[in-house]
Amino acid sequence: MVRTCLMDLLCLPGRLFLNFLIYMGQLAALLRELGFAIKSGVWRMRLVAQQIVSIGYGSQVVVIVTGAFTGAVFTAQTYFKFKDFGVETGVGAIVSVAMCRELGPVLAGLMVTGRVGAAMAAEIGTMKVTEQIDALRALGVHPVDYLMLPRFFAMLISMPLLIAESITFGLAASYCVVVFGFGVPSAWFWQHVVEHTNEQDIIYGMIKGLIFGILITVISCHQGLMASDGAVGVGIGTTRAVVYSSLALLICNFFLSILLNYFFPLGTAM
Amino acid sequence: MAQPPPSSSTPFISVRGLTRKIGWQEILRGLDLDVQKGETLMLIGPSGEGKSVLLKHLIGLMKPDSGTIVVNGTNMTGLRERQMAPIRKQIGILFQNAALFDSLTVEQNVGFPLVEGGIRDRKEIEQRVHEALEVVELAQHKDKMPVNLSGGMRKRVGIARAIVPRPQCVLYDEPTAGLDPIVSDVIDQMILRLQKRYGVTSIVVTHDMKSVFKIADRVAMLKRGVIHFLGTPEELRNSPDPEVQDFIEGRSGVKG
Repeated sequence: MVRTCLMDLLCLPGRLFLNFLIYMGQLAALLRELGFAIKSGVWRMRLVAQQIVSIGYGSQVVVIVTGAFTGAVFTAQTYFKFKDFGVETGVGAIVSVAMCRELGPVLAGLMVTGRVGAAMAAEIGTMKVTEQIDALRALGVHPVDYLMLPRFFAMLISMPLLIAESITFGLAASYCVVVFGFGVPSAWFWQHVVEHTNEQDIIYGMIKGLIFGILITVISCHQGLMASDGAVGVGIGTTRAVVYSSLALLICNFFLSILLNYFFPLGTAM
Repeated sequence: MAQPPPSSSTPFISVRGLTRKIGWQEILRGLDLDVQKGETLMLIGPSGEGKSVLLKHLIGLMKPDSGTIVVNGTNMTGLRERQMAPIRKQIGILFQNAALFDSLTVEQNVGFPLVEGGIRDRKEIEQRVHEALEVVELAQHKDKMPVNLSGGMRKRVGIARAIVPRPQCVLYDEPTAGLDPIVSDVIDQMILRLQKRYGVTSIVVTHDMKSVFKIADRVAMLKRGVIHFLGTPEELRNSPDPEVQDFIEGRSGVKG
């Protein structure tokens, strides 16, 4: 009994690693199918438009509120500390760069994961367990072409725009807090924002947004397409879609930050 | 590899040595079956014996563990998902639970194979959808969503969707289950009409023995993973096999 438990314990890391490899293999296979779908040239623009409305338009409120309040609270905390050193007028510079490079993309990505990733996994998963995906296949339509490709394109279009909104409203909230709340002159705020934020910071955030969009779509659609065992399976797939996408996004964000900093170094004026 | 063109004597569907396990359970155990072009083959047998599994293999939705499936001269078994599309477009299928797309209306569901098949003429699509819905007597429900339909109506929409692209073969998974006798007869007559008018090959999984004797050209009974009986309805009726007789008479042997 003890020996069996010990063996199980020893096997666990290997089993987890194997499962991870299998999972990565499945994601790679799905990406390959997505490549074939793009190559096929049948892009179903009506479905893309529907998904843009669902993903982009529908996520605006949550992304704007998140961006605005993150900008506001980050501003307040930074102001309290900066005031000790007498540099409170420089709050705008810190908030602006942080919103563009990290907070805007990451928080918008996490919000979209929770809202859109979950919906993708649940919708596709329900189609899977009710044989609607089989019906698509039986009608000669590849599920990746019909279900994943429009979501992929919609995500590519929506994510940068959502991130732009998040950054804009984060900065606007920061302005309100600093100027109306703490009485810092408006001109000082803008002076520091413009001086310390450049186009590279914005491109940096947009590239992150695009990559997060791809991650969320592939991981969530994969969970939907692999759903089984009825409503319970759809629930598990939906939970996994959100958890895996969020983790992947946060881990990927670190490596992207390091990588992108080579191309768009922080603090380099144009 | 190029396939030889099918001759008139070549069966439309030919299955050889089909085996398939689901989990540990061996569902199909070396099944052989030929379906001739233009015939109506009724597939009967106890529940859970793999009739639906066999249908899904015939259209490539499931892959066999071993064996071959040749459809209209093309071996399905070695094909990738994308390579199957041209063969699948020759075959319509009605799923057991209809499997309608729940985000589309009845009209959009039935028109789906036409739109995806590349037909762009809106009038032609509307006309063909209307014709298909007329066949299943649901033309007045075209604007409803599947969630607002009864089980029987969903099944009839599923039939309309299966037949609208005018396929060479239609696979029906329990088309009359849950339908009242009158609508069941409508469906039976429709299968007959498709066969007579367009030479459509039909494979019908059913437990409705009345339908079997009404429309079948041949009957196959699936039991223990193989075709246990294959013959005409008359041969089925006169079969000396007690298992066959018990099935068609509905005798379980359980005493009340």
